Amino acid sequence: MIPPDVRRLVGTQIHAAFGVVRRQDFQRWAAAVHDRNPLYFDAACARAAGYRDVVMPPLFLKEVTRGVINLDDLGPDGIPAGIGQGHVEIPLCPRRMAGGEAMTFYAPCYDGDSVSAVRVLAGVEQKRGRRSGDFVLVTTRTSYTSGAGVLLAQAVLTSIRLQAAAARDDL
Amino acid sequence: MNQQRYFEDVTEGAAIAPLMVPVTPVQMFFFSAATYNGHLIHYNETWSTAMDGHPGLVIHGPLQIALLTRMVTDWIGPRGRLISYSVQSRGSAYAGDTVHCTGTVERKHAGDGLIDLALRATRNGRELLIPGNATVRLPARPAT
Repeated sequence: MIPPDVRRLVGTQIHAAFGVVRRQDFQRWAAAVHDRNPLYFDAACARAAGYRDVVMPPLFLKEVTRGVINLDDLGPDGIPAGIGQGHVEIPLCPRRMAGGEAMTFYAPCYDGDSVSAVRVLAGVEQKRGRRSGDFVLVTTRTSYTSGAGVLLAQAVLTSIRLQAAAARDDL
Repeated sequence: MNQQRYFEDVTEGAAIAPLMVPVTPVQMFFFSAATYNGHLIHYNETWSTAMDGHPGLVIHGPLQIALLTRMVTDWIGPRGRLISYSVQSRGSAYAGDTVHCTGTVERKHAGDGLIDLALRATRNGRELLIPGNATVRLPARPAT
């Protein structure tokens, strides 16, 4: 199920991206989580807690370097297709679900900070589901660094790729 | 401002304050917008049910994780720090479900203020959505 050209990518960089932290963006994210933590909205509270300004919610880091999509590049499910966006395509398993993620944070981010993300394909593994047949786990490792070269965070993400007819709960 | 919690206040095995969030299609739409996520399973019920086989609109995995870690950052207070987390996605939840987040203190690391937490999110308090863990750092209680 795993194409040879995808296997060859394991251990290599599959995506690099750059972004700038914007207060309004991370506050919109926090609002959507219904997380009104004053550290994200109230500079005085954030300073009293040891930050130099309102601080970015740590989980928003994954969003900072998200690129700009071309509507023509979207798959029928509304997700950008192709390796250029850092997505690994498994044609026999077109449906994607989140599998798991782990992040370690090393430094806070603030409005105006620049962030670079480098993503490496860490692994591609075919698995057997209980009832749904084979599926594929795709694991990536992403390092986030600041414009000054400071390591901000590292993330390991696993996505589950399902065959067209498989149900998520069948895994 | 959330109340500050100190390392000395915490005991191993204790539960942390839970968080229960009924997730609406409106919240999901704003989360899709805030994360630049066009995946139809989160806002197009016809696609999610007829094309993708779900019983409804699928609550984003990252939103579930954000709620779980929000419980943690609420609990540690403003001077606490989220150091790391690790979660696995084990199930799906749908618009109208309540994401129940709970956690317990697994281990205190004397000397560095680090605390390991076991985390769990369920769908409506029943089906497991996310098992996971996190490590946080809490400040020491100031001398009085």
